[in-house]
Order: sequence, then C-alpha cells, then structure tokens
Amino acid sequence: MLTVTELQASYGAITALHGISLEVNEGELVALLGTNGAGKSTTLKSICGVLRPVQGSIEFAGESIMNKKPESILKLGISMVPEGREIFTSLTVAENLRLGAYTCYERSRYQQDLKEMFALFPILEERLSQPGGLLSGGEQQQLAIARALMSHPKLLMLDEPSLGLSPTMVDNIFELIGMLRDRGITILLVEQNAERALKVADRAYVLKTGHIEFSGTPAQLEKELDIASVYFGGSKDKSSEVTL
Amino acid sequence: MRSKRTILDAVLDRSTIVALIAVLVLVAFVMNAFAPPVFVDVYTYLCVSLIMVLGLQMFMGNSGILNWTYVGFVGIGAFVASICSTPAAVKAMGVPNMYPALVEINMPVLPALLIGGFVAAAVAAAVAWPLMRLSDAVGVITLFAALIVIHVIMTQWDNVTNGPRTFFGVPFFTTLWIAVIGACITLVAAHLFRESSLGLRLRASRDDRHAAKAIGINVVAVRYFSFVASSFIAGVGGGLWAHYITSFSPKSFYITEAFLLLTMLVVGGAGSISGAFSGTVIVTVMRELLRQLEGWLNNSGVISFEVYGLTEVSVAILLIVILIWRPGGIIGGSEIRLPFARKK
Amino acid sequence: MSGEFVINTLSLGSLYALMALGLVFVYGILKLVNFAYGEYIMVAGYGMYVLGIYTPTPWWATMIIAVLLAALTSYLTELVAFRPVRTKSLNAMLVTSFAVSVLLQNAVLLIVSPRARAVPLPAAFNASVTLFGVTTPLRNILTIITAVVLLAGLTLLMKYTVLGIAMRAAADKFTTTRLMGVQANMVISVAFIISGLLAGVVSIFWVGRSSSVDPLIGAAPLLIAFIATVMGGMNSLMGAVVGGFVYGLLFNVLSITLPASMVNYRDAFMFVIVILFLLFRPEGIIRGSYTEERVG
Repeated sequence: MLTVTELQASYGAITALHGISLEVNEGELVALLGTNGAGKSTTLKSICGVLRPVQGSIEFAGESIMNKKPESILKLGISMVPEGREIFTSLTVAENLRLGAYTCYERSRYQQDLKEMFALFPILEERLSQPGGLLSGGEQQQLAIARALMSHPKLLMLDEPSLGLSPTMVDNIFELIGMLRDRGITILLVEQNAERALKVADRAYVLKTGHIEFSGTPAQLEKELDIASVYFGGSKDKSSEVTL
Repeated sequence: MRSKRTILDAVLDRSTIVALIAVLVLVAFVMNAFAPPVFVDVYTYLCVSLIMVLGLQMFMGNSGILNWTYVGFVGIGAFVASICSTPAAVKAMGVPNMYPALVEINMPVLPALLIGGFVAAAVAAAVAWPLMRLSDAVGVITLFAALIVIHVIMTQWDNVTNGPRTFFGVPFFTTLWIAVIGACITLVAAHLFRESSLGLRLRASRDDRHAAKAIGINVVAVRYFSFVASSFIAGVGGGLWAHYITSFSPKSFYITEAFLLLTMLVVGGAGSISGAFSGTVIVTVMRELLRQLEGWLNNSGVISFEVYGLTEVSVAILLIVILIWRPGGIIGGSEIRLPFARKK
Repeated sequence: MSGEFVINTLSLGSLYALMALGLVFVYGILKLVNFAYGEYIMVAGYGMYVLGIYTPTPWWATMIIAVLLAALTSYLTELVAFRPVRTKSLNAMLVTSFAVSVLLQNAVLLIVSPRARAVPLPAAFNASVTLFGVTTPLRNILTIITAVVLLAGLTLLMKYTVLGIAMRAAADKFTTTRLMGVQANMVISVAFIISGLLAGVVSIFWVGRSSSVDPLIGAAPLLIAFIATVMGGMNSLMGAVVGGFVYGLLFNVLSITLPASMVNYRDAFMFVIVILFLLFRPEGIIRGSYTEERVG
C-alpha cells in the first residue's frame, strides 16, 4: 500500500535520512523504532508532505506522493497524528473533531462518525465544548487520534503516541492501537517504547542515524535483540522495558 | 580545526574589504580626473549612502532585526552636526525660533560630525533598551513607532530644527574625497565589527535566539550595544550628508528614505558587507538613471502629463523581484571571495 | 463625562477596531505585519473617487464596489507578492509588504496625481443628528452601527462555519491545519480577502471624515492599526478590537487633556505610552493562546 524507496531527507546541511526503504501492506501494523534523532519523525513528515525529501520515492496506492502538499496527501487517505499531539488548543473538542472531517464532511455520516468516536473515547463526549488546551495529555492524545480517524484514513500514521503519558494512559493508548488494527486499519506507528510497540506490531523496522538497521517480524527482532541492545545500550536481562 | 578556519576566513574577508576599498578609491581617481561634475556628484552621494547603509548593515544585517528607526538617527546626526557647524548669523536668520544657546554654538565641521554621531548614539542608548527586548512582530512595530516619534519631534520642535521647514545655510564640506575617505573608514569599521566578539555574538543571536541564550549570550545586551554603535555611524553619515546637501528638512529622514536605505541593503544582501556595498551601487545607479528618465519625460513633452513616482515604483518592483528570486539578496549572507583568494 | 465624548469615543474606537481587525486577520495566520494594509484603504478611496466623479453610479453601489476593490487588491498582492516569499524568511515577507506599499502609493502618484482628490459622498453622511440629547454627524452613528454589524458577522463566521474554524486553527497551528486537509493557500487568501474587505469599509468612513483622498491616506490608519494591535495583543482577534477601542479612548482623552501647545505631539505621546506599556506587558492586553509558528 505504502512503498518508500531510497528516501533521503535533510534539514538544511544536516542529512537526517540516508536513503531508507520501507513498505506497509494493507491491513498491517508496522512499527518504526529507533532512538531519538534516528529519523523516525523525519520519515513520517516526509510521507505526509510536511517535509520535502531530497531524493527517493514515496508511493501510496500505486501513486507517487513525493512532493505533494500535505492537504493533497490527506485526501489520498493518509492521516497523521503528529508528535506532541498538536491539538488546536484554542478550539473546542468538537471543533477539533470537525476539522478532522474537513475533507469528507457529510452531515448524517458525520453524526454517525462522532457517535463511533464517543464509543471509542467516552471522555471526548464529556469534554465536547471545552477548549482542547484544557484537556490532559492523555485526553489530548485521544482527541488527536479521534481527529485523525474522522477523515476515514486508509493509512493512519502515529508519531510517538505514548510520549509523555502516564503508564495507565500508555496502556490505554496501546490497547486502542491494537483495537484499531483489529478493525483492519493500516497503521504505521513510530515509537520509542519498543517493547510495547512490538507487542501490537505485525512487522517492525529499526532506524539508526538515518539508515534502516533491521526489518522483520517482532519475533525475529526479539531474537536479534541482543545485537540490537549492543547498539542501543542496556541489556535484555536487566530490564523488562527495552528502550531502543 | 575550527580556529584555523576562522583565521582563514578572516584573512579572506579582509582581502574582500581591501578590494572594495581599492575599487572605491580607484573609481574616485577616475571620476576626479575625467568625469563631468554630475558624475562626481552622484559618486559623492553614493559614498555617503554607502556609509549609511553600512551602518544599517552593522545592526540589521547581523541581528536580523528590521531597523526602521535607523533613518531617524541619521536625521539626529544631520541636525546636530548642522547646528554645530552653521555660522550663528545664518542660524539666527534661518531658524528664527532657535534657542539662543544653540545659535551661539559654532565649530569646525569635523568635530561637529563627531558630536552628531555621539548625540545619535546617546539618544539610541537612552531609548533602545526596551526596544531590544521585544522580538518579532511587536519589535518591528515598536521600532517603526519609534521612527514616527523621532519624526514628530523633529517636525514640531522648531526651537531646534526649524520645524517642518527647511534648515538651510549648512556649510559645504563633504567633497568627493571626504565622502570616499568616510566610506573607506566605515567599510573597515563595519568589517571589524562583524568579526568582533560582539558582532559574532550578534550573528549567533540572529541565527538562533534561544540557542544563543543557552550558550550564555545576553541577547538583549548584545543587540543593545550593536544598536548604539550602528546609530553612531547613522549620525555621522547623516552629518556628512547634511554638509553635502547643505539644506534639508525632517522630511528627508522619514519612511521614504528608510525604505531606500533598506532597499539598498536588502537588494545586495543584508548579511554581508559586500552585499551592502553592491546593493548601494545598484540602487544608486538605477535611481539616477530613472531620475534622468523621469526628468526627460517631464521636460521633453513626450507625454502630456507630469510623471511622478516612476523611480519609486521601479525600485519597489526591483526589491520585490529580488526578494522572490533571491531572498538573501544578490550577494547573500557570506562575503564575496576574490578569485585568487579562493581556496578550500 | 459628556454624552458627546462617549459617542465620539465609541465611533472613533469602532473605526480603529475595524482597522486593527483587518491587520490582525492576516497577522494571525501568516505572522506577517502587513505594511501594505493602508494601501488597500487608499485603493478603496480612489475607487470611490473615480466612480463618484466619472460615472453615474449610485452612492450605495459605489461603496460596495470600493469595498470589493480593496478586497481584490488585497487578494492580488497576496497572490503576486506574498505567496512567492511566504516560505522564505519572515524579514523577506516584511520587506516585501513594505515594497508593495511603496509600489501602490507611487503607482497612484504616477497614474492619478500626488494631489488630494475630492470624493463625493451623500450629503446625509455628514448631516447632524441629535441622539440622546447629543448632536453628532450621522457618520459617527453609522460607524458604530457598521462596526457592531461587522463584528457580529465575523464572530458568527469564525465561530460557526467550517471556514472560520479552519482559520482559527490555522492561526493556532498552521502545519497541523494542513494535515487536516485544509488548503494552505485557500486559508491565506481568505484571510487577505477579509482583511481587504475590512480595509474597504474603513476607507468609507476614513475618507468620509475629510471627503478627499490622496496617495498617503492609508498611512495614518496603518499606524493606528499597528499600535492598536500591539496594545490589544497580536495573537487574538479580540485583542485587536479591544486595542482599537482603547486607542480611541486614549486619543480622545489626550486631545482634551493636552495643553494646546502640546497637541501636535499627541502622536508621539501615544506611541511613548504604548512603548512603555509594552515594557510591562509585551504580549498586549489580551494574551492570545496561539503559538508563534512560522508558516512555511
């Protein structure tokens, strides 16, 4: 469904991605792992059009989306939950959700979608008329995901959804991601919390300083994790939480 | 590694400055020997403009802050120097309401120019601290408002400036050579400033304000001292201009002139001295040609109505085109390298 | 406090609020302080002059066309000058807006004349009416009514339409708004068009005060808008409105209290007060919740 080939991206003089290739098939949950500065977010930003890559190609559903505007890429069916949630703080929860459905608004369907979101995220219904800025971190993350789902994406990209959340909230978020996968939504998930991500992922890529270091199933990665831990520091035995 | 590169850079930059000075002086000799007086006039004016633009570059180019107020300090320098150097009898006649104490002042032009510079710097020092604390849009607007405050005072305080009316009788002093020497000194000063510790810190604060703060640069203080230094040059430049034009009014230090100086700086590239230099040359030449054209159109009767504003329209279009095509200016942020000095 | 003072202040404040609002609409989204804003007011003024003098257009149609003309000018400057430099540096955009301002001013100088031109307005516009025992030009009352209607209309637009929500979102987080599928160019164009419409309405009343138009007529409204927005707070529409009214009040108070010999320094006083005010509260009266994000 999504094919990234030899993608290079840079911030001014600093090259962030040195030609990475990855693939996401329909219905899959693919995790993109790596340390800070490995290029995970850069990859997502390049795919959703916020960042202009230097070289390579990005194809989505058989169409090149390289150098397309973010708004056109969304219309093709890629929705992004940005890092740090990026809730519109001065807009109410309802208005945030309404913008999520900007491209595909249809009154009756919209009401139905809203009901569905409230079933998934009951807290949002309670907070409907509050400004997004007054929500807690976990609530904001739920709102960000709900907002992204309102456009009925074919591919949902999540950038560090567990960042800065309480442990219980992290549990909730991953439970939710698993649920979305079970519903057949294709997901590309960027995470630093590798262990949690690997539990829900079908396949994973490990990025290191702008290169793909590893790709395969979580089971394969688990096997090779000792090698990985050499790269990333920390050993498998010492902590149950493997931080990549 | 790093220090080596910096030294090499400094040497190369110095060669650029030397070359620019050589060009200025050489052209002056040629002008002096062969060119008709009109050309000498234009060249003198160019050198005076260059002084002002270089002063503007010192602060604006290195700090990235759009300095609207600058031309106000040019005006302060012009008025102060002229009041100091103009004979008492001329002032008594030309500025009827002037304070008697000011009428009595009389001194040679050179110290008068310096006093003009110092007063401009002193005014800058008195008002700039709060202005330097504000950033972004609010900063731009307050600097603009500060220019208007200076202008209102100039046009209203007729005990000093003769109000909105013309201040005349300033002794002629700024000959071709005075202007060239002034421009050369300013080139060196602007270069030394750029490479000085203050200039480097200022440039660091331009590139990333927060990072600069994080490594211990007091951004407000660095901006403040640079602003004051830049205003000194503005004052001296204004004085030289006043002693070239010999009669002027506060109108000459307002938005139109601010725009002109800004254009000269931005067209070439605000980030470098060579940029300021080339922008001044390009805009001055273009303006003179257009003014000739405008004059010819009005006098020859080719068209039935009077042409006003053609020059400004063209300069504005030039500026917009440059900003779209090369937002960093023609030269850009780094100094021109001479071919023989090119080395990597 | 006399009734006359109240009505004067309300009408002046309404006009200033509209000026400030037009400026801040573009600032909110592009973070651009648009120096060409005053020229949209000027263009509308010349529109009224040309239509009023050279055509038999009825006065109401003249006014509507003038307002549309300002909006069109605003939109065209966005298209031709601002869009190509939008992704470059903020200073490039600022200098561009200044160049556009100089260009438009001098184009009028070149095409029309440097001299002021009389703009015919319906006589009723300047007729006196007596309201609550206060006699005042009808113009002042119309200004207040227009401002109330426009502010109400814009509030409805911003609060209850998708376009309004998208514009508020874009002012808050521009890139994220694009990720919602909102067209960047569309939002920015709409901001410029609304800014131009407001400039056009301001022009009717501003030109109405002197019944004449000259190439520099936009300068004063631009400055008022600058100061009002800075004072009110650059990051919220509400701030612009509040700033406009506060500026109107300050202006009228200074006009009354300053001794005659100092009245000419009034503008300087205003700016000094504002600069001092900003020392203590750099974010203005109303603290917006928007982040400072560059559009790129």
